[in-house]
Amino acid sequence: MTAQGLDRENGTSERRWRRRSLWSLVLLVPLSLAIGSYDSVKALLGGNDLFPRRVAWGESARFGGSDWKLTDLRGAFGMSNLAPDTVPVLADFSVKIGDPDLQNRWLGCKVMLIDKDGRRWSPTSIASLKTTDNVQTCISAIFSGARSGDTLNLRETFLVPKEATKSIRPAVGVASERPHFLLFQLEKD
Amino acid sequence: MMRKLANVVLLLAAVSLCYGLQVSKPHYGDLIGPIPARGELGDTVVGRSFEVRAEKVEFARKLKADRFGDSKVLTTGGIWAVVTVEFAARAQSATVAVASWRGTTGLTYDQTERLSFTDGLLPVAIDPGLPKKARLIFELRPDEVSDATLLISEKLMSALDSQAEISLGPVAIGPDGLPPGTVDTLDMTQPI
Repeated sequence: MTAQGLDRENGTSERRWRRRSLWSLVLLVPLSLAIGSYDSVKALLGGNDLFPRRVAWGESARFGGSDWKLTDLRGAFGMSNLAPDTVPVLADFSVKIGDPDLQNRWLGCKVMLIDKDGRRWSPTSIASLKTTDNVQTCISAIFSGARSGDTLNLRETFLVPKEATKSIRPAVGVASERPHFLLFQLEKD
Repeated sequence: MMRKLANVVLLLAAVSLCYGLQVSKPHYGDLIGPIPARGELGDTVVGRSFEVRAEKVEFARKLKADRFGDSKVLTTGGIWAVVTVEFAARAQSATVAVASWRGTTGLTYDQTERLSFTDGLLPVAIDPGLPKKARLIFELRPDEVSDATLLISEKLMSALDSQAEISLGPVAIGPDGLPPGTVDTLDMTQPI
């Protein structure tokens, strides 16, 4: 083989490998981006209540290993120490325990109210209303030692502006189910 | 010859570009630091999760406060600055917990912890649609009151989150070294 022939063959091989390398970038760049952002995306999805799972009024839904049912949502009007346009709202749930490992399944339990504009209210500690002994909050229920088959009564209290009371719906999120959360519909929906 | 020269020029250009990138890159602390939302006294400053408007700044030599039912008068070797603010939550309930006063020389004063049980101090829980007033109280050196900036954020390490930065403007200093409007005692037991 002549020197010219060798040069031509080397050149062809080099061009082929350059083309292969460039094409491999099409795969490698998105792959490295995906690997680099995997933890961030996982944290984003695992730490936020993003996708609602609607639950019709009167029905219960399996969530965090237990069956959740909204039993009541009502305003507690007439509290004297609040601003005039502020309404305390009570959300009551009945939860039948399935998996009793609540400290893992219900970790980061968050009950909230969501209105038609997507605004979210967290429970308040300002308006404290008397409850019977067997009513708990989501967080206190985690440490209640409830067993499989038990039914827990949960109540959360919120402060909501009067204008939002017509469109608020209760919602529940727990770490083991995120990014999904339960969005309860009311009787009138 | 020309090709070699072109390569040397290209190399020098690459070196200067790399050096430029190195010296102009922001500090890591700035990259992951708080994101400022700026405004002035009276402006509504909008952050990611809360809005805040500083209504007024008062100065006092002493503060009167309740502690476990007893009335206490808190004196200071400097001056008390009390900023009345109104907070509003944006899309969801939030808690605003941290405020500091950055003086004109850069000295930064955290809000005082001497009135820990007084109503209306941070942390303040705010809900959408329900604005709430609060008092931010600082114990300062009198020469730090003018051209100060109020820094307010949800938490102490507000990395990549909003921090309201409110310019409080110039404050005249009287012959006694205090602002002319300084009162002897401000009563913190009064509602905001």
